[in-house]
Amino acid sequence: MSPRREQGLVRPYVVTNGRSEPSRNTFDLVTLVSGVPDRPLQGLTPEQRRLVALVSRGSLSLAEVAAHLRLPVSVTKVLLGDLVDSGHVLTRAAIPRAQLPASQLLQEVLDGLRARL
Amino acid sequence: MSQIPQAVPWCLGAGLLPALLGLVRQWRLARDRATALAWLEAAVRARDEEAHRLATVRLPALMHSAVAHPAPIDPLLAGTGFEQSLRQVADQFGSAVERAELRADQNAKAALKGAMRALQGLANEQQVAISEMQERHDHPAVLRDLLEIDHTNSQFGRRAQAIAVLCGSWPGRQRSASSLSDVVRGAKSRVRDYKRIEIRTQVELAVTSRAVEPVVLAVAELLDNAARHSQPNTLVEVNLQPAHHGACIVIDDAGVGMDPREVELAGQLLGGQRSVDVTRLGDPPQFGFAVIGVLAARYGFSVSVDTRSPYGGVRAVLFLPTELLTQITPEPEPEARITTDGTLDPAPLPEPSPEQARAPRHRATPHHHSDPHQPDGPHRADVHQQAGVQGQAGVQEPAARTVGPRTAGGLPKRRRREPLPESALGQETAADPAGRSPGDLVRDAEATAQRLGAFARGTRAGRAPEPDTHS
Repeated sequence: MSPRREQGLVRPYVVTNGRSEPSRNTFDLVTLVSGVPDRPLQGLTPEQRRLVALVSRGSLSLAEVAAHLRLPVSVTKVLLGDLVDSGHVLTRAAIPRAQLPASQLLQEVLDGLRARL
Repeated sequence: MSQIPQAVPWCLGAGLLPALLGLVRQWRLARDRATALAWLEAAVRARDEEAHRLATVRLPALMHSAVAHPAPIDPLLAGTGFEQSLRQVADQFGSAVERAELRADQNAKAALKGAMRALQGLANEQQVAISEMQERHDHPAVLRDLLEIDHTNSQFGRRAQAIAVLCGSWPGRQRSASSLSDVVRGAKSRVRDYKRIEIRTQVELAVTSRAVEPVVLAVAELLDNAARHSQPNTLVEVNLQPAHHGACIVIDDAGVGMDPREVELAGQLLGGQRSVDVTRLGDPPQFGFAVIGVLAARYGFSVSVDTRSPYGGVRAVLFLPTELLTQITPEPEPEARITTDGTLDPAPLPEPSPEQARAPRHRATPHHHSDPHQPDGPHRADVHQQAGVQGQAGVQEPAARTVGPRTAGGLPKRRRREPLPESALGQETAADPAGRSPGDLVRDAEATAQRLGAFARGTRAGRAPEPDTHS
């Protein structure tokens, strides 16, 4: 994952070995990918190793992973599907944004407090 | 009267002797003439034959191979002017043929080179377009089609590139130094049966930038040969082996193999001993070995195909000398602002504010660069201590997050960040009392950073019980 990693040398079909369908269709751009520590890296392609190393210390979204690997998102999904199947990474859907109380309600509470104090 | 009969024999004898002598001379003369005539006849016949042979055998042979074979000449004609003239004719004919061939070859190469350049450019352009489409489209079905187009386009580009190289062009794209396995996988990308190619080993070696493209092209030709001449259900195995003077890419196929004549021809082509003539590559033209030979001679690697693979096919070995190899230091993965949300980390520590992370490194690194010979001063020790303290304090969070990526020697490595705003810099320097040594200045900056960090932590801790406001 050096910044000057050559682009276009290894084509995506070699990266995925010709596959275009991820093994599961639950991934989207904001899917969170986190690593499972201490899994053997034998038999993984260089891209898969890089992906595992990338998420070994925490979580990244799929879009970030793809950007770091400099691969198209769709290709990253294929890699990710394999890694989830082999148990190297975990994915989870992005945490939905917490529903904030409406500003009107807050305003009313504030007004109420002010009225009482 | 009796003397007369006595004198007659004498007279006769005296007359006969010269006659006899004359006869003998005549006979000898006649014999010599006959011999000379026979010799002349033979010589004329030999000349005829030689001229005939020149016209029907030697010149046509010269036409097919420009190398003039010294023809065995009739001993009758050895050393004669005729022989010299014949030789001159043959030589001139040979050189004329050679010149004509050279010109034809050059013309063909120039024309092909121009055409292939254009095709190469188009293929590269198309590859960029395909890459963009791959980025843009997310649907697996679209991706599948794009991958197919990409694959075909890569092969197309390789063909054009190979012909252009054979015609004396450069391999084209300049690439940055790439690891050996990426080089082989790049070659794999350009071969029709890429799925059958299996790369078994990985080595920590890289190919220097100027050699990447030629080696990729040569390996692609070898892989293509291997895949083409073996059954579709067999594998082509690639092994990478470091060697004392370089590294080897070993390609084994389980194909039909080559007979000794083919091996010899391949050896000549690969060794660059035979000049490559584009007009004589056969039909369909066989570029592979010729291209590899040209590249190997130009860039200084070597290829041999004269061993049998353990699977009965051909073992091709591409040897890269040390000059073409380099080491890629495994660069640390970028930390990439790991999104340790509260939901993922059971006890998340407050993330250091950007200012806190930025300030010490930004101040310390220029100093490090400007004065590399200075021994580890107290300020340097401070950096380490601070790092250690922070690492210990943040057990749950990776130490690398606070101190950034480290070099092999354990020194903190600078990451790309946006520079501090001018005003901030100015304020800091203005706050420093004048007359301080640079070492003090650095330590002061760290102290400032610590204070800033403490301030950030404090404000965060103060806001912590109200999670809603945090977002």
